[in-house]
Amino acid sequence: MRRVILAVLGLVWLLPTYLLVVNAFRPATAYDPAKAWVPSGHLAIWGNVVKAWHKADLGGGLGSTLLYSTVSPAIALVIAALAGYGIVVLRIRGGFWWFMLIFGGTIIPNQMILIPLFVRYSDANLYDHRLGMIIIYTAISVPLAAFVMRNFFTGVAFSIFEAARMDGASTLRIFWQIYLPLSRSALAAIFILEFTFVWNDLLLGLTLTQSSSVRPVMTALSALQTDVYAGAPIPIGLAAGLVVSLPTVVLFLATQRLFGRGLPLGQA
Amino acid sequence: MASRKTPLLGRFRLGYVSPAVLFVAVLLYLPFLWTAYLSLTKYDGLTSPEFAGLKNFGALLHDPALLTSLRNTLLWVIGTLLLPVGLGLLVAVLSYDVKGGAWFRLPFMLPYALSGAGLGLVWSFILTKNGVANQLLGALGLPGGHTSFLQYGPGNTIAMVVVWTWQQLGVNALLFVVGLQSIPKAPIEAARIDGASGWQLFRHIIWPLMRPLTTVVVGLALVASLKTFDIVWVLTQGGPGRSSETLGVTMYRDTFVANDYGYGSTVAVFLTVVTGLASFLYLRTQVRKEDARA
Repeated sequence: MRRVILAVLGLVWLLPTYLLVVNAFRPATAYDPAKAWVPSGHLAIWGNVVKAWHKADLGGGLGSTLLYSTVSPAIALVIAALAGYGIVVLRIRGGFWWFMLIFGGTIIPNQMILIPLFVRYSDANLYDHRLGMIIIYTAISVPLAAFVMRNFFTGVAFSIFEAARMDGASTLRIFWQIYLPLSRSALAAIFILEFTFVWNDLLLGLTLTQSSSVRPVMTALSALQTDVYAGAPIPIGLAAGLVVSLPTVVLFLATQRLFGRGLPLGQA
Repeated sequence: MASRKTPLLGRFRLGYVSPAVLFVAVLLYLPFLWTAYLSLTKYDGLTSPEFAGLKNFGALLHDPALLTSLRNTLLWVIGTLLLPVGLGLLVAVLSYDVKGGAWFRLPFMLPYALSGAGLGLVWSFILTKNGVANQLLGALGLPGGHTSFLQYGPGNTIAMVVVWTWQQLGVNALLFVVGLQSIPKAPIEAARIDGASGWQLFRHIIWPLMRPLTTVVVGLALVASLKTFDIVWVLTQGGPGRSSETLGVTMYRDTFVANDYGYGSTVAVFLTVVTGLASFLYLRTQVRKEDARA
């Protein structure tokens, strides 16, 4: 009985996915709402992707988005790991409050920072600039990363640090050569989460960029969406949606083993 | 310690936290405070802001668009808790100890791969007036074959909550499954021996044991639904005629479309206060319940 309910509900859930795939493979000119359910028998997806590529200028956007979603989380991870190391291992005075200050950033809604960012970015020539996007995505990624890294370092035995110290290593060197490599699994897990977050961001891209080469790909996609009403063929829009979703899917599949055992966020 | 040449914990220790603090302070906290100040000003983004006291907040109370937006946001909260979270729990409970449960959950996980913008692309062609949904209704001989799903409020908000459910059910189900698989087996076995089964078993044994996880899942969904922006922006841009705006969309439109930066800041502050208050009240009731059980 339980299987039957699950199977029926699952089939209902697959219908839109089916429609997406079938119509993304349809030649752009052959879309007819009355026949949307029937596969066209064509493999026009590649042509659709190419057309979407030109229409929404996905190429430049994809490159920039890849830059944002890899560089920003990477910088954020190092910054956050440094903070976690300072607080947990080096026992900075008032460490808990420093941590609360950093982690508190997660509760600020994006809407509360948009206006000052827009105005100041325009003043500082960071508006519609790749550097500006990298900076803000880094800042947004820091609090969660700091939370995880702090937890992670709490689980690392302090004797490791002491032993390395006795051997004469500097605190910074211990960080780079022992603590950072030790936390590979946690770093990878946060990287994936933050990559996905930056890749899927719409609001910051919408507010802080304009030109098609700087604009993140989700913002470009949402612009293509408005064009759908203006007559851009539906198969092209769907093909673009598929392509743009691909990197996050591939990343998740490639790292499934990491997440399969539960997020390695807590213990060393 | 201080007399040693190199202290065990090293020097310049504050240097380790300062980059993180700098990023967060300059790019998150400062803008936050400045938006709070701007909510008390008249500001068009070009000339410098003029202090206006609580004038914007007064205007907020008499703004029909804000009222619609507030209603829609409330619909999003209720809808999210009922559908993606509620159905997610159902799917989790049905599948967690079934053989091949992961396969049964796969159809629900697939949509999660789509981003908000991709989601909009898929569903706009399903939901438009002569779109696939209406074709299907017509073909099955069902009434409502000419429904304009995204045309009128609050129906368009409800349609979008359904779309959101399609995407989010899988993740919620997955989180619940993890919770269900980690609860201790002994009390369940004991209750089974005592003759409990089905609904009874779930209501009195499994549900209470899942509490900590449910608190987190519901809390996350609550906060996320209050800040809904992406899917609305992509599917309707808050329209037609502002009928499907949420607080997040209203803030964006008032600021960057209507160029009323002061009022936009006020909406942002309002959104933040509502979110903060909701989280606080929710956590308090959860803590109270914990205490009552202890």
